[in-house]
Amino acid sequence: MKPSFRRLVLAAAVSLAVNTFAPVPGLAQTQTASKSDQWIHVRVESKDDGGETVRVNVPVDMAVKVLPAIKHQPLHDGKVRIENSHMDDVDLRTILEAVRSSKDGEYVTVEGHDDDVRVAKSGGYLYIHVTEKNKAEKAAKEPEGKEGHAKPARSKESKVEVKVPMKVVDALLSAGKDELDIVAALHALSSNGDTELVTVKDDENTVRIWVDSKNVSD
Amino acid sequence: MVLLAKVGIGIGATLCLTAGWVFHEGVIRVDVDEAKPDGAHVHFWVPATTVSAGMRLTPRHYLRQAAEQSRPFLPVLREVAKELRKYPDAELLDVRDSQNHVTMVVRDGRLYLDAVTDADNVHISFPTETLRDVADGLEEASPGI
Repeated sequence: MKPSFRRLVLAAAVSLAVNTFAPVPGLAQTQTASKSDQWIHVRVESKDDGGETVRVNVPVDMAVKVLPAIKHQPLHDGKVRIENSHMDDVDLRTILEAVRSSKDGEYVTVEGHDDDVRVAKSGGYLYIHVTEKNKAEKAAKEPEGKEGHAKPARSKESKVEVKVPMKVVDALLSAGKDELDIVAALHALSSNGDTELVTVKDDENTVRIWVDSKNVSD
Repeated sequence: MVLLAKVGIGIGATLCLTAGWVFHEGVIRVDVDEAKPDGAHVHFWVPATTVSAGMRLTPRHYLRQAAEQSRPFLPVLREVAKELRKYPDAELLDVRDSQNHVTMVVRDGRLYLDAVTDADNVHISFPTETLRDVADGLEEASPGI
């Protein structure tokens, strides 16, 4: 074997070894990106005759980019404007502010005629539990439909359970009065890891909203 | 004989290159089948390049008009098109009940919209790049929107 050819073979072998064992920047970047990719999943399951199921999976990063582009009231620049009238007799913002400044385990309880609201803080998470009472009673009181039949009174109670990391709450409230900063909240959410956010259960529907790193729902 | 062979190779190579360029963005596929008797059946494949090429050939005022009409949705379309490229495989939407099934899926960089209902079956798929071409074309036609 000629010395020049031997040098060439040696150089090729070294080059192959370096390329095989050295980290590939593009690949490393992809793996990091996919690891940090978080998805918001929404699943709605209806228990009526049609058995409707809705599954939505949206990358958090995509939502962060797309939301500011939507300009449709009450959403603008990634923020949602809350009208006080929509909150009935519960001032959500005041409750959240109170909980934010309070210690773990302290909570606010609102016992209304129609709803019970419980807000608690524990381990860096905010828990909101809402129980709507007398749903059957309310449904029976509703005016008759077009067909002249009253709505059947199926549900007695519906439960809403919300679990939100406190840093997401802080981000949500960072927009100012009567506004919730959804984009800031999504940024905070994406850094939090897998989280079960909302569960709503009643006799008719089950709604679940959660965040994880899978690009499909369960 | 040799000259003829050279000409043949030249034409063949040109055809291959042209086909390669026309299909390099993939194809747009549309399948519509109405379930009723004598219902319409529409099936066609179009190279996605025709969209970007078509937008360059369309008279400017038509594009400006389209951009103005789609003004509220254009920023959203632009962002969605940009973001979809980052997610080549994703199941975005799945809605089903006893009679209907609607899905929106991204697979291998293509967006698949499928709606299977009692009345008809609709399957549309196109490269996510096509959305961006449309957004870019409308933006170029009417900057500032």
